[in-house]
Order: sequence, then structure tokens, then C-alpha cells
Amino acid sequence: MADLNEVPVPGPSAQVPPPPDQPGAVLTVQDLFKDFAGLRAVDNVSLQLRTGEILGLIGPNGSGKTTFINLITGLLPKSGGFVVIDQVDTTHFPAAKVARAGLARTFQTIRLFKELTCLENVEAGAVGMGVPRRQAEARAIGLLEEIGLADQAGKRAKSLTFAGQRRLEIARALAAHPKFLLLDEPAAGLNEEETAALLAFLKPLPAAKGIGILIVDHDMHLIMNLCDRIHVLNYGKTIAEGTPAEVRANPEVVGAYLGSAAR
Amino acid sequence: MNALQWLSRRSTPIILAAVLAVLVYFLWWLNDSYLEDVATNGCITLVMVMGFQLFMGNSGILNWSYVGYVGIGAFASAICSIEPDSKRLQMPVMYEALIGIHMPYWAALLVGAAVAALAAAIIGFPLARLSDMAGAIAQFALLVVFYTLLAQWQQVTNGPRTFTLGGTRSTTIWVALVVGVISIFVAYWFKESALGLRLRASREDRYAAASSGINVVATRYYGYIISAAVGGLAGGLFSHYILSITAKSFYLAELFLVLSMVIIGGSMSVTGAFAGCILITIARQGLRQGEANLTNSGFDVSGMTEIVLAVLMILFLMLRPNGIAAGWEVRWRLPGRRAARSDSKQRS
Ligand SMILES: Nc1ncnc2c1ncn2[C@@H]1O[C@H](COP(=O)(O)OP(=O)(O)OP(=O)(O)O)[C@@H](O)[C@H]1O
Ligand SMILES: [Mg+2]
Repeated sequence: MADLNEVPVPGPSAQVPPPPDQPGAVLTVQDLFKDFAGLRAVDNVSLQLRTGEILGLIGPNGSGKTTFINLITGLLPKSGGFVVIDQVDTTHFPAAKVARAGLARTFQTIRLFKELTCLENVEAGAVGMGVPRRQAEARAIGLLEEIGLADQAGKRAKSLTFAGQRRLEIARALAAHPKFLLLDEPAAGLNEEETAALLAFLKPLPAAKGIGILIVDHDMHLIMNLCDRIHVLNYGKTIAEGTPAEVRANPEVVGAYLGSAAR
Repeated sequence: MNALQWLSRRSTPIILAAVLAVLVYFLWWLNDSYLEDVATNGCITLVMVMGFQLFMGNSGILNWSYVGYVGIGAFASAICSIEPDSKRLQMPVMYEALIGIHMPYWAALLVGAAVAALAAAIIGFPLARLSDMAGAIAQFALLVVFYTLLAQWQQVTNGPRTFTLGGTRSTTIWVALVVGVISIFVAYWFKESALGLRLRASREDRYAAASSGINVVATRYYGYIISAAVGGLAGGLFSHYILSITAKSFYLAELFLVLSMVIIGGSMSVTGAFAGCILITIARQGLRQGEANLTNSGFDVSGMTEIVLAVLMILFLMLRPNGIAAGWEVRWRLPGRRAARSDSKQRS
């Protein structure tokens, strides 16, 4: 396992490409399946995500997006297929080990450590990776500043606004210094202004931190403006993958999803 | 970091230790053997409460078998400290190897803690993987096993007969106070350690914790062992104060007492557990007095103390489930500074 502390973290505005001695990593998902008693929720899905890029994962309700994330993060057992994170086969890893291999995530239904302070929430993201408490604290203070929650550091997570909680979850995930960040509907429940702020925060992240982002969301404005590529699921199956323009022009995607979701 | 900041960061255990020291000193100063007994017993109970809070407060899991580890520490340390001759005389059936052991009081205390921790490390390993419900039942069954072993294993504990230490009380009021202070620092240090933070994260949301790289099972396992060590230490203090112990001293009544203190004070903070211990200790003395007075005047109300405490605990669970402190820690802040690491003072 690579030393995660070595990933360089310039400020969010510094748009530097990953340094040459850090040749980007790849997350590979191959032929992934998930069967829930009679229901095939994820059906032979394969995709690749590189550090430095943002990949959108979209599809109608129940198309298997959250299940897909739960499978590759090790929270759900797979029915078939495999996952490789930066040349490490994590297919059979439990969730904690997957995280340590470089995968961090947020949850569609927010899962914060509610009774802990905002600072402790973010610290836990680093401490979970084996970072000592002092170092984790310094890292957490920096991240809270980046994400605009520095003045809430001592408050309990449950006292934040909904939008604040969504942000805090992202900060906690980033505290792990992951190679890949998986966001499950980070804009759900946010108003237009908050979504715009989220877009502005996420857009420079891959270049600044040298990470790859997989984002699931139903906000097509956000997805189309944020993503380099988009992967479309329907009934657990891949129906398209391509640039935002290609996906928008794909009649099958429009028929299955965009026709109803596009605003 | 300057000295003031250093102090501010550690202010919680320092304040609690100071409160304890003042209380104990005051009770001693009153020069009444009954009050001195209350103070000494209170400190011993506090060590027990701190060890209990250390696991329950941070993991959110009630360890039913906890008082069993207190019992293990009590017997193990007593076996270590009693003179071999006196052991042979009083407990002729004891294993020869145990009779031969002899060491000073302080070393015996440490051995008591170590034996309790070792037992927790061996027993906790297969149990750590159980789900919450199965785990709770298993821990309860374990308490019964501990009790039965302590009550029946003649060659070690003198079986159902009272185990007498003889001699004078090694646990004085001052020893109890010092160990009480140490236990406060241990509980707070644990909570603020990386391990403690991982355990608290797993208490709040085990899936989010796992997805943050936290091995929830291992984290709980280590917390369980450290908690048992503090419990074992409390047991050693207890046996060297009471001087005659039986397995019954470490069973449901003790568990109920510790549990009521932690529930009423608030398990999630060291301040809460401390406050619960002090308040319930005082309340119990008052209730006992009332019980005695009423019984003397013709109304038999024996058992009233236990019932009042039980009802109080139920009321807290219903109306204020996180206890008096609700996760809050007493803290001295540097004026004009925003203390970055802190449990918020505000309650939501
Ligand atoms: N634990 C489970 N047991 C049984 N069926 C499940 C389980 N979790 C999900 N499913 C089913 O699997 C399918 C995919 O669900 P999933 O939550 O992955 O969809 P989604 O694409 O994330 O939808 P949404 O956009 O609404 O979040 C759904 O039909 C759902 O009912
Ligand atoms: Mg979903």
C-alpha cells in the first residue's frame, strides 16, 4: 500500500497537474454484478476512473448507482466481478481495507458522526487511515477552512445546516487523502446557490489534489458542467458512456433518463 | 505551544481531579470514620465507573460482563499480596503455585489489572465479531460464567466461603484518591486518543467509520481490554479496602450501581460519568439514611434505595437519554480564543 501521506496537497486554487513522479492511479471495475433476492441491481458493469478526472454516474431511480458504490467500497458483498485500485485487487477487501487502499466516499443519506464536533469528524477521516491525532488535527483544520466550515469547527456535526452536513462529509472523505473520491448525490437537497458553490469547489479538486472523482447525482446541470465523462446505468446495466455532449445526444439515454431528468 | 494552551487542552481531567481532591480532603478533614469510609468507597467506585465509561461511553456498547473483570482484579491482586503462610492457613485447598506468590500491595494492584486485561484479551477475541444483540447476550452470559467461577473455584477464590485478606487496609483514603485521579486522566486520555476517536466514530455510525478506514471490530476489541484493565485495578483497590470478598460483590448489584451512575451522569463524557458517580454516591447515602430512619419509626422500607435509583435511571432514559452532561465536558477556555478542538458547549 502506497503511503497516502505522500499525495501532494496544494491549496484548492493551485491548478497544478499531478507531478511527474506521481504517475496517476487507475480505479478499474470489471464485470461487476449484484443480485438481491431475484433482483439484479448491478448487471455486468465495467468502468475505469483515472486520477485527475471526474466521472459522472447517472441513471433513473433504482438503476443501481448507490449499490454500485456500496459494492466497490466493500460495504456490500459482490455477486461477481472485480475491483482494482491502483494495481491492488480490492475485490474481497472489507470496507475499512478498501478505504485504506485509497477509496473515500460520501453517502446519499448523510452519515456523519453526529455527536462529534465538525473538527473531530474530519479528524476521524484521517485517523481512520492511521494518521496520528496531532497531524490529523492540523489536516482537519486546513480542510475545514477550504470547505468553508472553519468557524463551525467546535460545533457538533448534528447542529450544522443540511448543506453544511453535506460539505462536512466531503471534508471527512478528503481528510483520508484518498486516490479516488466517490460522491453519492452530494447536491441532493441543496438549493441552486449551494449547488453552484459545490460545483466551484469540486471542479478544481482533481487537478489540485491529484485525485479521481466519481459523482452520482440527478442534477444534470451539475453533472454536465462538472464531468469529463459520464457513465449511464439503467436497470443495473450500462447503456452509454462518453463525454457530456455524447451522452446528451444519445437517444437511448434520453429515452431512459434525460427525457425526464433534464430541466 | 505555550503553558496556558497546554493547560487549557488538559483542563477537563485537571478540573475533575481537583474537584475530587477537594471533596475527599473535606470529608477526611471532618474527621468522622463514617465519612472517611464514604470518601474511600467513592473513590474506588469512581475508578470502576471510569473504566466502565471508557468502553461504554466511547463505543456505545454496554459491557454486561464488566464487573466480572473487577472481580478478577480483586481476587488476583489479593492472591498476590497475602502472605503465603496466611493463605495456607485460611485456604488449604488453594493451588500450591498460587500460595507461593507474594508481592507488595502496589505490584499486586498492577497484576490485578493485568490479569483482568489478559482475560479480556482472550475472551473478547472470539466475541468481538458478534453482532450487537448477540454480543450483548454473550457478555451477559459471560457475567454469569465469571460469577459462577469466582463463587465455585475453591482452589483459587476459596469458593463460596468468604475470601479474607487479613492484616490492615492497604487501600487508604489517599491511595484511593490518587488512583481515582489517575483513572480520570486515563479515561480522558483514552477518549482523546486516536483509538478513542475511532471508537467514538464507530459508535456514531459504523458504516461511515468503516468507510473511513476504521476497523470497527479491532477498535472495539482494544477498548474492551483497556476498560477491563481499569476495572481490574478498581477490583484490587476494593479487595484491599474491604478485606473480605465474595463473588457476590461483583455481580448484578455492582453492575446496576455503576450503570445507574453512568446513565444518569451521561456516558458520552468523562465529566458526565464523574458527575454521575459523585451525585449517586451522595444520593445513596441520603436514601440509606432515610431508609434507616423510616424503618426505625415502624415503616419497613428496606430496598427503597435501589428502587429509587432504578426509577431515576428509567426516568433519565426516557427524558434525557444522554444523561445530565449529554456529551459535554467541563473545560477551562483561554479567554478570547476559539478553542479548536472541543466538544461544543452548546447543546442542540
Ligand atoms: N439491500 C437491498 N436489498 C434488496 N434490494 C435492494 C437493496 N438495496 C437496493 N436494492 C434495490 O436495488 C435497486 C438499485 O438500488 P440503488 O439504491 O442502487 O439505486 P440508485 O440508482 O442509487 O437509485 P436512486 O437514484 O434512487 O438513489 C433498487 O431496485 C433497489 O430497490
Ligand atoms: Mg442512490
